Amino acid sequence: MFTQPSLHHSSSRDRQQYARFSAQPPNAIHLRTPNPTLSDEAMSNGSNNNNLGEGADTMAEEDPRAALFRDHYSRSEARLMALLGGNTNYLETLDDGAALFAEPDSTTQEPRPAITPKKPARTIDEDDYGDDDEGDEEDDTNASPLLSKSALNGSAAMPIDQPNLKVPPLSSKLGFRRTSTLSLEPGRSSDDVRQKLQQDKKAAEDAAKRSFHTLFYTLENDRDAMLEQQKLDELDRQVDSEMSGQGPNAANAGAPAAPQQGSLSTTNLGSSSLTMKHLIARIDSRRDMVHASDAQLRSLISEVRKNRSKWANEDRIGQEELYESMEKVLMELKAGEHAHPFLQRVNKREAPDYYTVIKHPMDIGTMMKKLKQLQYKSKKEFVDDLMLIWSNCLKYNADPAHFLRKKALYMKKETEKLVPLIPDIVVRDRAEVEAEERRMRNGDADADGAEDSDDEEPIMASRGRKAPSKGGKGTSTARKAPPDLVEGTPGPDSKPQLNNAVANLKNEFLRADSDVSMEGSINGLSTPPPGMSTPLGPNGFLRSGAPGSQADISDADGTGVSVSGFTLESEDADLDDLEYKTWKQVTKKDRAVIAAERNRLFRGDHLNVEEPAILRTKAGMRRWLRHRKQAIAEDSAEASVSAPDGKDGVQTTSGETLAEGMEGEDERQVPDYYDPVSAIPDINERIQWVEDSEGQVIDQNEECMRMVPKGYFTAPESALTKKMEANMRQMQETRKICAKIGIVKQMQLQSQMYQNQFQKYNPQPFVEADISPMVVSEDGPIMSPHVCRAALQRSVGKVFYHAGFEEFQPSALEAVTDIASTFLQNLARTFGVYRERPKIRSEMPVRTSKGVTTNWIPRFTQEEAVLHSLSENGVELESLESYVKEDVERLGTKLSGMHDRMKSHLAELLRPALDSSAGADGAGAFNDGSEQFVGGDFAEDIDEDFFGFKELGLDKEFGLASLSVPLHLLQNRMHNAYRAQNTNNASSTGVLMEQPPPFEPITIHNITKEIGLVQEWFLAKLHDNNDEPLVEDEDLPPKQRFPKPRLPPTGKITSPRKRPLREQQMMQRKKRKLEDGKEDHAGNENGGGTSRGIANPVGKLRFKPAQKENQSVAEPEKDDAGAVGMISPESILAA
Amino acid sequence: MAKYRTEIQQMMFVSGETAEPSAETTTLIEAIVQGQVHEMLRECTALATRRGSRSLSTDDLMMLIRHDRAKVSRLRHFLQWKDVRRSVKDSDDKGGDAGADVAGDADLAAGVVGGGGGAGGPVPEAGKKAKRAKVDLVWDVHSFFSENPPTLDDVEDEEEEEMNYATLQRLKNADERTKDMTREEYVHWSDCRQASFTFRKGKRFKEWAGFGVITDAKPNDDIIDILGFLTFEIVQTLTEEALKVKIAEDLYKKSTGGEPQSHLKRKRERGLFDPPEEAREPIQPSHVQEAFRRLQRGNNKARAMLNFTRNVHRAPLRLI
Repeated sequence: MFTQPSLHHSSSRDRQQYARFSAQPPNAIHLRTPNPTLSDEAMSNGSNNNNLGEGADTMAEEDPRAALFRDHYSRSEARLMALLGGNTNYLETLDDGAALFAEPDSTTQEPRPAITPKKPARTIDEDDYGDDDEGDEEDDTNASPLLSKSALNGSAAMPIDQPNLKVPPLSSKLGFRRTSTLSLEPGRSSDDVRQKLQQDKKAAEDAAKRSFHTLFYTLENDRDAMLEQQKLDELDRQVDSEMSGQGPNAANAGAPAAPQQGSLSTTNLGSSSLTMKHLIARIDSRRDMVHASDAQLRSLISEVRKNRSKWANEDRIGQEELYESMEKVLMELKAGEHAHPFLQRVNKREAPDYYTVIKHPMDIGTMMKKLKQLQYKSKKEFVDDLMLIWSNCLKYNADPAHFLRKKALYMKKETEKLVPLIPDIVVRDRAEVEAEERRMRNGDADADGAEDSDDEEPIMASRGRKAPSKGGKGTSTARKAPPDLVEGTPGPDSKPQLNNAVANLKNEFLRADSDVSMEGSINGLSTPPPGMSTPLGPNGFLRSGAPGSQADISDADGTGVSVSGFTLESEDADLDDLEYKTWKQVTKKDRAVIAAERNRLFRGDHLNVEEPAILRTKAGMRRWLRHRKQAIAEDSAEASVSAPDGKDGVQTTSGETLAEGMEGEDERQVPDYYDPVSAIPDINERIQWVEDSEGQVIDQNEECMRMVPKGYFTAPESALTKKMEANMRQMQETRKICAKIGIVKQMQLQSQMYQNQFQKYNPQPFVEADISPMVVSEDGPIMSPHVCRAALQRSVGKVFYHAGFEEFQPSALEAVTDIASTFLQNLARTFGVYRERPKIRSEMPVRTSKGVTTNWIPRFTQEEAVLHSLSENGVELESLESYVKEDVERLGTKLSGMHDRMKSHLAELLRPALDSSAGADGAGAFNDGSEQFVGGDFAEDIDEDFFGFKELGLDKEFGLASLSVPLHLLQNRMHNAYRAQNTNNASSTGVLMEQPPPFEPITIHNITKEIGLVQEWFLAKLHDNNDEPLVEDEDLPPKQRFPKPRLPPTGKITSPRKRPLREQQMMQRKKRKLEDGKEDHAGNENGGGTSRGIANPVGKLRFKPAQKENQSVAEPEKDDAGAVGMISPESILAA
Repeated sequence: MAKYRTEIQQMMFVSGETAEPSAETTTLIEAIVQGQVHEMLRECTALATRRGSRSLSTDDLMMLIRHDRAKVSRLRHFLQWKDVRRSVKDSDDKGGDAGADVAGDADLAAGVVGGGGGAGGPVPEAGKKAKRAKVDLVWDVHSFFSENPPTLDDVEDEEEEEMNYATLQRLKNADERTKDMTREEYVHWSDCRQASFTFRKGKRFKEWAGFGVITDAKPNDDIIDILGFLTFEIVQTLTEEALKVKIAEDLYKKSTGGEPQSHLKRKRERGLFDPPEEAREPIQPSHVQEAFRRLQRGNNKARAMLNFTRNVHRAPLRLI
């Protein structure tokens, strides 16, 4: 099956192929090498050989092998077809012969045709020639070891198939690659099994760990755990001391290691090798340039290598791995809670007849000893010993109810669980292996290849855990890559021995070990139980069945017992809560350690001062953190268990590993609360030190940023504030009317009025300005005393205004604000005092808002606390209520009443004889300048036909509804004053008639257009006017204007012409002046306008300063502290 | 001292004390009232000084009692009717019809409706209501504005409603007491109701109240009248409170079996065989003292600003 038809196959089988070829006429394959090309013969030989080999093998193996071949064949056939095109292309570039042969080879060689992309690489390879002369005979041996090995490994099919797939395409040292892959494959497959078991175990641990977060475990078992642990330690020490003398000898029993063949990279060094992978690969590729012997290199590397286990031994191949796992298993068992009785030999005093019943006593301690003495050569020995313990126990304690039986059964079950974790390795001495290997190589007898291959031999083979990891693997590799690797068990043939002898002669690395012994050991190892030798199907069966069958065997004494034991055991397992049991197992050791730590401190029932304190460690804190994260991750993402794991891995490496590795990371399997010393308080996520992928510290400030919510500094909307604001607006409205009344009154008193005398009362609306949008980085209240104070001041100002103060001294505002703030502080503090009273116990359990039921209730309820603190500060509910009722609500009604009174008062002032019907629609009519109101139909109201309109029938003629007299006719002074104020109102009346175009002024030029009669007169006028254009009377300066008859403000035409006409004219003129002065105010810069102001008495109107204040609104919050002038709420509100 | 023994006795009688109080009691009450008046004058003077005025005004007095809305309301009522009486008096000179009114006014002025006024009360009142001038408080709404418009007639005088529960209760009690009175008794009752510290005793009162000592200001009639009204109120309040104290004490004694009283305190529940009123024990000074103490006990308002400080609160005399 291993005869590879083509030269180009990179799989390890090629080598064997070559070896076989060499036994035939040498069919050298390679393009560059002078070797003879492959011939059909060779191919056929190969196939023949295979056949022969098959024949040579035990017939029992026939069927499975046939099946294997068939399977193999079909697969490689398919692969061949796929690769065909590429192969041909490539081959054309090769030597003719090779090319020629190659094609048919690959096609014809159906049975074992693993044609892989490796071909080209293979062709380049020069170093393989030496191997060519491996004989046909080897095929047999190759085949059988493979089988046995595969059987042992339990993966039959894989090692055969995989090499084709997995071999790296461009390896110069094909042999190495191949061997590596080969050796890897079976290893991996058995690894898979172990991994799976490991995973199971790990899963159990994980489950336990998960339960840590959900369950609280008490400390009650800790003492037992501690004592047991102490006993275990004791045992260890004992073993150690017993061992101390002979240990080293045993360990070094092997003679100086002979170089085992294989490349550096062949060896799977486990995780540790990863670090040196590249180095090893490099050395391998340049092996010929390194002037160091393999031994030197090996020792060098093994020194450098980390994590070398204590079992590692250059000379004992496979020991490291085997023993490591064995030790682990043993430790595991030892740490179990039921292991206690089996730790030491049975004391004869305790059981006098024990040694009569039990012929082969065994206990864990003894096993430890044996382990340390390296007495175990294989897994089986180890397992047998283990099973012996349990079976001994079961045998001796035959009573089914015996408590030890339970324990033994439990332990047995545990053992069965754990045993598959141990790789099937037979420890072999290096010398032995090498000798064998050499023997095989030498059998090739090709001078050329010998040295090369020798040199090439992988340095690391010996130290690898993996390369030797399979007892059978060595043989398998030998079979597959005869030139490079450890040879397979050569079988009974004499030829290998011959080869071996040659090798011995030839090789510098001559081993003293006898082939025979080695072979024997190999044989012993590889002689499988009958069932095992069948490669494929039986393997599967074997693996699964192995532990059981072994257990049965080891049970030795009555299968019935074992059966019943099993049932018993299953019951036993459930004695404890499963979780609790796992918990106990998983955490036993750590709990013991912790308990011991504490125990040290308190030994003898008193505090031992001298003992070291229990300190927190970085490792502990990291662990604590990790647990924490896991718990959180599991909480959040229950869905995928694997995801959190991976994440955890990432986190541990990325996040919290600042201190990683600074202290020994001893993983503990205990929940956080077992290690309270290491607990870390919660740190706000925002202030944690977090780095991004590039190691930059993430500035987490952004996440803290937030906008100050709106309305933070404004009074909240409430019914009360709405009422108060309504009151304030009402006051403003009323004040407007007050201002009008004041004006009217003033006009009645004064003969002269001035524009600036009446400032329009135009209050600003109350607006509470919020602060401009601001960003803060913290939650919680904003500590800004000035702004807060300003806000309070504004509120105080509002209350002032509401209490009727239109304006007030800043100092008063300051003082009241201070008092208010102190009072409110007191109130809040009192409230705090009442809130924080210690809770009291209540009879009835209370459910809190968080759903927690508790018997402890606050001393005061919220309402009580509020009422108490109010009362403490002299605020009674009645006073609050009466404030709202009296000072807010009733004030509102009073204000509106006052407003009505003001309106009617104004109406009375404006209309001397106003009756109530006119004011039906209230003062709203006044709002637009009082025009229609004041100019109203008072004549009708008083039933008098003042002007004789009715008499004249004008009302009928013009259809006038009412004979109103325009206001300006009545009270033009007032009217003017109003117009000045309410210009907009005046204009709102609208223009009914288009104003006619003004007359063209008469100038000296256009005088001729006038009619002749007046020309003279105009000329004279013009002459007087210095030939300037004449001005219309209307446009004359007021002083030169001819007076017009006017109505006095009373609206009554008193006795006509009481005064002399001239006087009256003067008076009229004055009035006229006043009226027009306004119109011409802008143009009249001759001082006339201003001179009129002298006689103005100082305004008595109270609102005047107020107006001023209201206009100078420009004192916002910033200067409210230092503002000297009076301020009004409106100005504060701007804050 | 003891210048007002009879007046105080009369006032106490009106206020519900039917028995003859001892001299100690009246003296004690008088001392209390005097102290209150002194305090009021002092405060008023301080207020007036702060206003920049040397003379007291009614507003100052009003200001002192501003928190007792009911009392303010009664005082305003009193002042209104006083105003009415004065105007009536003025018109009397011209020969008006106010003769009958004066008595009714007095009744009303004391805050008692009904009683002897009987049916006659409401009739003249309705007529006079129009004349009644409104007594405005300085801090009232009209002070908010620069103009003071004339009142509108149709505006309800909602101040009337301010006569709160306590006032009405007082009137009711007086009504009950006078219901069954004989003519003589009622005469005595109404005599007692006339009792005043000030009425026609202006000089004595000024001396007693410490005008000229406490304050330099010359009090005008209004001030004296208001003080007279207030002193009556003080005595009345004190008496009522002292009665309550006494009733509680009697109840306590009865319930604890100590010194069983042979008579019930509440006249309305007087049994057939109860001893006559005269036999009842009058209010003792201890009762008055307890009443005064209770009335002096204020809420925490004055203390509020001293919370969380170590300052000791020295409570000023509370005006009753």
